[in-house]
Amino acid sequence: MQTRVDVFEDIFMIFLVLGTLVGVIVVAYTLYNAYKYRDTGEPAADDEDVPTLGELPTGGQGGRKLFLSFALSAVVVISLVAYAYVLLLYVETGPEGENPGEDAIEVDVEGWAFDWDFHYEDGVETTGTMYVPAGETVWINVTSDDVWHSFGISDQRVKADAIPGEYDQTWFIAEEPGEYEDAIECFELCGSGHSGMTSDLVVLEPEEYEEWFEEERAALEEAEDEEEAEEEDDEDEGGEY
Amino acid sequence: MGDLPPRRSVKRWLVTTNHKDVGILYLATAIAFLLIGGLLALLFRLHLLEPGGTGLLTGDEYNQYVTSHGLLMVFWFLSPFAFGFANYFVPLQIGAKDLAFPRLNAMSYWFYLLSGVLAVSAFFLGGSFAGGWTLYAPLNVPTYTPAMEATTGSNATVFGLLMFVISVTMGTVNFMTTIHRHRAEGMGLWNMPLFTWSILLTVWMMLFAFAALLAALLLLGADRVFLTQYFATDQGSGLLWAHLFWFFGHPEVYIVFFPALGIMFEAFQTFCGRRLVGRKWVIIAMVLVAVQSFLVWMHHMFLTTINLEIKTLTMATTIGISLPFDLMVFALIYTMVKGRVRFTTPFLYSLGALVLFILGGITGVFLGAIVLDYEFRGTYWVVAHFHYVMVSGVTALIGGLYYWWPKMTGRMYSEFLGKLSFAVYFIGFNLVYFPMFLAWETPRRVFHYSGDMTLWHQLSTVGAFVLGLSVLMVIATLAHSLRYGAIAPDNPWEYSRTAEWAISSPPPLDNWDGRASYASGSLEFVPDTPATDGGAVADGGTATAEAAHAGQEERHPDHASIWPFVIGVGTFVFFLGLSGLTPIVVELIQPYYPADGPVITVAGEISYLYPAITVLGIAILGVSLFKMGVEDFYVPEPRVAERWPFGGDLDDTKMGVWVFLASDVVVFGAAIGAYVFLRLHEGWASFDPIPFAAWPGLLNTYILLTSSFTVIMALVMAERGNKRGLLGFLGATMALGLAFMGVKAFEYGVKFSQGEFWFTGLEYTLYFVTTGLHALHVIIGLLIAAFMIYRIVSIDAYLEDERPVEFFGLYWHFVDIVWVFLFPIFYLM
Repeated sequence: MQTRVDVFEDIFMIFLVLGTLVGVIVVAYTLYNAYKYRDTGEPAADDEDVPTLGELPTGGQGGRKLFLSFALSAVVVISLVAYAYVLLLYVETGPEGENPGEDAIEVDVEGWAFDWDFHYEDGVETTGTMYVPAGETVWINVTSDDVWHSFGISDQRVKADAIPGEYDQTWFIAEEPGEYEDAIECFELCGSGHSGMTSDLVVLEPEEYEEWFEEERAALEEAEDEEEAEEEDDEDEGGEY
Repeated sequence: MGDLPPRRSVKRWLVTTNHKDVGILYLATAIAFLLIGGLLALLFRLHLLEPGGTGLLTGDEYNQYVTSHGLLMVFWFLSPFAFGFANYFVPLQIGAKDLAFPRLNAMSYWFYLLSGVLAVSAFFLGGSFAGGWTLYAPLNVPTYTPAMEATTGSNATVFGLLMFVISVTMGTVNFMTTIHRHRAEGMGLWNMPLFTWSILLTVWMMLFAFAALLAALLLLGADRVFLTQYFATDQGSGLLWAHLFWFFGHPEVYIVFFPALGIMFEAFQTFCGRRLVGRKWVIIAMVLVAVQSFLVWMHHMFLTTINLEIKTLTMATTIGISLPFDLMVFALIYTMVKGRVRFTTPFLYSLGALVLFILGGITGVFLGAIVLDYEFRGTYWVVAHFHYVMVSGVTALIGGLYYWWPKMTGRMYSEFLGKLSFAVYFIGFNLVYFPMFLAWETPRRVFHYSGDMTLWHQLSTVGAFVLGLSVLMVIATLAHSLRYGAIAPDNPWEYSRTAEWAISSPPPLDNWDGRASYASGSLEFVPDTPATDGGAVADGGTATAEAAHAGQEERHPDHASIWPFVIGVGTFVFFLGLSGLTPIVVELIQPYYPADGPVITVAGEISYLYPAITVLGIAILGVSLFKMGVEDFYVPEPRVAERWPFGGDLDDTKMGVWVFLASDVVVFGAAIGAYVFLRLHEGWASFDPIPFAAWPGLLNTYILLTSSFTVIMALVMAERGNKRGLLGFLGATMALGLAFMGVKAFEYGVKFSQGEFWFTGLEYTLYFVTTGLHALHVIIGLLIAAFMIYRIVSIDAYLEDERPVEFFGLYWHFVDIVWVFLFPIFYLM
């Protein structure tokens, strides 16, 4: 099972190596030609066809070489992108081969100026810190409460635009447990606090995550019970009048 | 009218309409905006020296500087700098005496300069727009900007941009007409020099791309001043803006880069002493790019919620559009082979631009692969990539400045200083932008970056200062040349080919005696034979009686008019006034504002100065437009010229009107497209027609169709020289137009009396703004008709030359046709 980090590293490495190679060759060839054909001050031979002032423009010779180089570069570019496309399909459908599976972990992420809210199952919520289990696929559903943000965790190679009224779905697998401070950043200018709009990522062992989740849920239920009780009290009091 | 004062006088530069003067004005102004944009960059790069910022700027200042840097460089520096060269050299290269509409050209310039002044003045009106140069919604509307306490200032940024787009539209019409209709005898389209080719394709792209931006900015302007809701909702606003902006924004990349490419082609040919390899294929490649540039915009939106099929299609078109550039790059490389390469300053800059463009292109392929784009989106990889591409364009443009400097000033520059400036420039460039690739995980537009990136950001900041220094060195080199430079010969460059090098440095006011001709296969200047066809028209659609006399006595073309400048000032004042209206509008509509509408918390203070300024602007505009309309300004149309495919019975003004209408089609297309997009997003069936009944719309359809008939009859009467008939039918057209506006006012009035306004809900916004935009066109048509009636009464106009009536008719028919589309959309569906 490839994580987003694996996918990115594969493809980035190949692009980087080929890109560097092509860049070095083409730039070197450019400079080589510029140097090799530098003007030596020799006057043009009589039979040489040099451009003259006021002529109607025409093209120079050498078309075949041009097309050969062009075809070569086209092959490189198209094959690179075709390869990348295969990985795109993997990223789009997710590691299980289907958009969020039955017992996938789903977190709804909501951006607001200037922090992130995380909604887990059963009404559990956190702000400013995202909790995920290690080694499991986490599906996120990203939106925004006010302006356009972009949710991204560089270390996990995951990103999704947070647009009001739109829900952008993607996934990632965090492998190493730990607390990653400010790992979550906003990638779209969203106002005066944009620069500091970060949240922490906490990756827990799956059992710990379960524990954390149950605690949160229990706390939530308790709070709800209390609230209900209070409301009942209010009603009782109200009845006395 | 009148004579052109000498170049030493200030007045000369205020009144000139000559293409060479306007070119110099463009170049000088663009450099001024480069310095301002560069200064902003230096300030925020200083702030970026430490993670979390050095404290030099607040978060909001940082956002403002980043935003204005982007806007100034892309809009007020890059394109106008290229169009300085285009103004100066395109007419020379194609053998024209001037642009087709010289006063319109001067007006483009003044709109450009003053729009920039408005955008920069935003800093002094409470702070400029701070939402990024892409102006993403919904951060770009007043609902969110008050938090930045910058409503008036950021309105000024938006209206500055709007005014700039108007300038571009005027320039587009002008260049399109000139290049298609003023080419010297024997110069077919295929024969045009490559710089001219690049400008022709640039203006074709501009025509459609900037019209989309114009529409987007009109809607945004309505949102900002009148509190409509195009970009304020969570019902598709964000995506709508992204679509509109990038439909403009991606062609814009080629719009700014093509002229630079054209200069590279010219410089490579000259300094390699060889003709361009594969010239025909290079031209075809550029045409392909220009067409395809309108099909790739969604690659800026890979990470939004567009679906996989669209992403795949966009990826394919994106890769497709990169391939023609491969061909162009190789064409440049092979042009050096077997040449005699001379490393002059302009060639060094062009070669440098090629190398930088190769790097920018390769890093762009990374972004074309969607999986990688997901990770690069919003990071410094994007910043580094597009600076490598765009500033590679700047590199070539600076090369162009050195290349053409001797021609424009008549002075040679110091090659030593020029080469030194290049060395510093090239090092500075790579020092600023290359570390950005290494620091690529940094999100864009933040100063809180992770500590392990610090070194790269610091290098980048140092590089920014080196690059800034090199720009000052370029300016110093050229200033030195003006004072101490040797006198330039007509043709300082061996193996140059194009016509500008065949005339003196600098060229005389009318470029050459007689006319240029390539009929013999190479450039000759031949006596201008008397007219056998064509004749002359005054530009601006108000032909006067001279047309008839043109053949009899030779009259010198006019080169001076103050009215383009005054019209520019009027427009500037008008938009400045509009910028400050928002708080007043908020106050006025508060009682009627729906409880569930987007929250308005405008912090700006009400100032009644702004409505006064707005009215003043309208007054200046009214007077100056009228004055220009009645001005006697003589512009000859060439008697002999290559005009394929726009010859036939077209004349310059008619072609100009058609080009303008083509761009207006896109404006309405975008407005109607916005309606369709938002309604589909909401669910097509969830909208009900807003008008209280369909019959007023139907009535108005009949009224407008009848007015199309009366305007045709007016033309017939003008052709017959029947003054009373002409007056009668033009008057009837006006009466029908007024009746249309009356019905419209009644319709709006009924809605208002029911407490329903443009801010009541999204569907109300769509109805009021789209029909309002159409009504604005009707009003402009009525003003033109009123002016024409005045001219007929006062000087018996159009009886000898009826063409202006025809041009007005074209516009009026267009406005009618738009209504035929709006009626079913807003009244029946």
